[in-house]
Amino acid sequence: MLMTEHAGKRLLACHGVSVPSGALIRKSPQVQKWKGRYPIALKVQVAAGGRGKAGGVVRVDDAEGAEASARDLFARDFGGERPESVLIEPWVEHTRELYLAVTIDGESGGYVVLYAPAGGVDVEHHAPHKYAFGSARDFRAHELRALLGPVEQDRALRERIIALARRLAFIAGVADALTVEINPVAVLPDGKLLALDAKIVRDESAAFRQADLAQEIERARKREPRMVQRALAGNLMMVGLDGDVGLISGGAGMTMAGMDMIADAGLVPACFLDCSSNPTPTGYQLAFDVLDSEPHVKAILVSIFGGGTQIDRVARVMSEIMSQRKSRKPVVFRMNGTGAEKADVAMREAGLYNHPTLESAIDAVVTAVRTA
Amino acid sequence: MSVLIDASSRVAIYGIAGNFGRFSARDLVLSGTQVVAGVAPGRDSREVEGVPVFQDARTACSSTGANAAIVFVPAPAALDAVLEVIEAGCKVIVYPGDGLPVQDAIELRAAARRSGAVLIGPNTPGVISPGAAKLGFMPTSCYTPGPLGVISRSGSLSYEVAWRLTTAGLGQTTVIGIGGDPVKGLNAADAIELLHADAETQAIMYLGEIGGSDEYAVARYAQRANAKPTAALIVGAAAPPGKKMGHAAALVGSAADTQAAKVEALRNAGVHVAHNLPDVVRAAEDALRQCEAIIS
Repeated sequence: MLMTEHAGKRLLACHGVSVPSGALIRKSPQVQKWKGRYPIALKVQVAAGGRGKAGGVVRVDDAEGAEASARDLFARDFGGERPESVLIEPWVEHTRELYLAVTIDGESGGYVVLYAPAGGVDVEHHAPHKYAFGSARDFRAHELRALLGPVEQDRALRERIIALARRLAFIAGVADALTVEINPVAVLPDGKLLALDAKIVRDESAAFRQADLAQEIERARKREPRMVQRALAGNLMMVGLDGDVGLISGGAGMTMAGMDMIADAGLVPACFLDCSSNPTPTGYQLAFDVLDSEPHVKAILVSIFGGGTQIDRVARVMSEIMSQRKSRKPVVFRMNGTGAEKADVAMREAGLYNHPTLESAIDAVVTAVRTA
Repeated sequence: MSVLIDASSRVAIYGIAGNFGRFSARDLVLSGTQVVAGVAPGRDSREVEGVPVFQDARTACSSTGANAAIVFVPAPAALDAVLEVIEAGCKVIVYPGDGLPVQDAIELRAAARRSGAVLIGPNTPGVISPGAAKLGFMPTSCYTPGPLGVISRSGSLSYEVAWRLTTAGLGQTTVIGIGGDPVKGLNAADAIELLHADAETQAIMYLGEIGGSDEYAVARYAQRANAKPTAALIVGAAAPPGKKMGHAAALVGSAADTQAAKVEALRNAGVHVAHNLPDVVRAAEDALRQCEAIIS
């Protein structure tokens, strides 16, 4: 889960990283309460990347222009998102911008430090220097020093960068963060470093031991569309899409493969809906309730290939749900896997047809949507 | 030949007294796997499905000679349970659970490597060598012995593809579910080395998805002069950017994460990439045909 810049900077400051002393406002008139010096930077607090290029960071030279600038920022969308808050910070004069991050690297199976001598909005154009160190407590300053030796000739600056990287690794460890990125790190005229931005992504899987993260996830859920909220509350994994084919599936890969086939058939999936974390009568009933109550869903495809999920049990649950169901939206079934033979019998006895292949099921869905 | 497990593997089930542990014990025995021990700390069971149950992994392994384990505990308990199994001396371990904190995955990957063990998972159905052994819960009937080594980030998709391959008469040496998380005990680069070194594996089938960098490791492998013919299916073309698709790592954040970018990298590396799921058998056949061309 991505923290806002403001929340990220507070976390950095808690652990001794220098950040500008800013203030957060939720309405444009609040900018008048700023008691700090001018010029200031106004920075929209949105999740979307490319904020700087989209004009989400503006410099304001005096109090007169501040409210109009803030009003303008609150009225605009950035990457499809309307800012809920704007961060005010004193405008910082600096001599140089660096890029420094600690992030997860799948290839080495652990954390890496990424460093680029020139940070800022175009940092992605040059591959950063990479130091893979494994778990947060396996960071070794001397290993990073050996890597940065040929890159950073200014020894005092190099030592400051290493000390900051060590701090970011520590924060990643204590906060269960997948990414702690500072872009840019400003080099001040006196040589000290200041974090001008903060992009911290925390590991949602760690919510069971990070109470504040659990609350943050809960708050984010409340911002989802109602259909998605209901599914998530019932432990189903759902992403809402705009299409007309409701897809009830199991497993991330199988669900995506189904979405791709729906798209290949010229239709648009209405959702990514993976029931594998709650393959129970309650879970499947909820999946139907959610999709049946959505007017834009014209037909439903049930595509499940069970391993640990025993398909004969699922088939009995499906026949029970279908016998009680009020919606007339057509439902197409294709289920296979553990217990498939018994599942076919259960479906036949309930007067339901289980398609032998996903191809024939998708054909049936196409017909159902075209005639709906 | 197979990789990771074979008919001589002696399996312990950690968490055997729970519903899923019991199901797995029955299922593994039916698949012909030697299930020699169960572990259920704090539970009274002495025996489950005819398998002796122990209070701790070390006693289970020393009493029964178990050398492989599958661990059924929820994510908050996984770090301790998997460390226990590694320290008890098991050399191949499957942790199927999802929602494992990435820091715990990092620690477990490192601990396994230090002990000369292999951890498969998290977030995986495990590994199967058809006709020999299974350390997981994939539907056994969908698999048959043969020349293809399969690596998959997704469990359910690997069942579907195995079923298609088996139906088409294309058997498998070993099917490895590496899982859908960002940090894995065994990642695609590790798994492909195992299959590369396996004499019976003639061609490799890789099943991938959006997000993460495993697909690029496969592309790098395929560019080697002595690489085995490789086929692939990458799902998630219809997935919107910025949204996590069930798996922790299945998220399009940058251009390199997209299905299209991965397909292009794999095609450029000479991989037979399936257009979609129905095309997967054709891609596997092309890879196997390439083997015949190399031999003749």
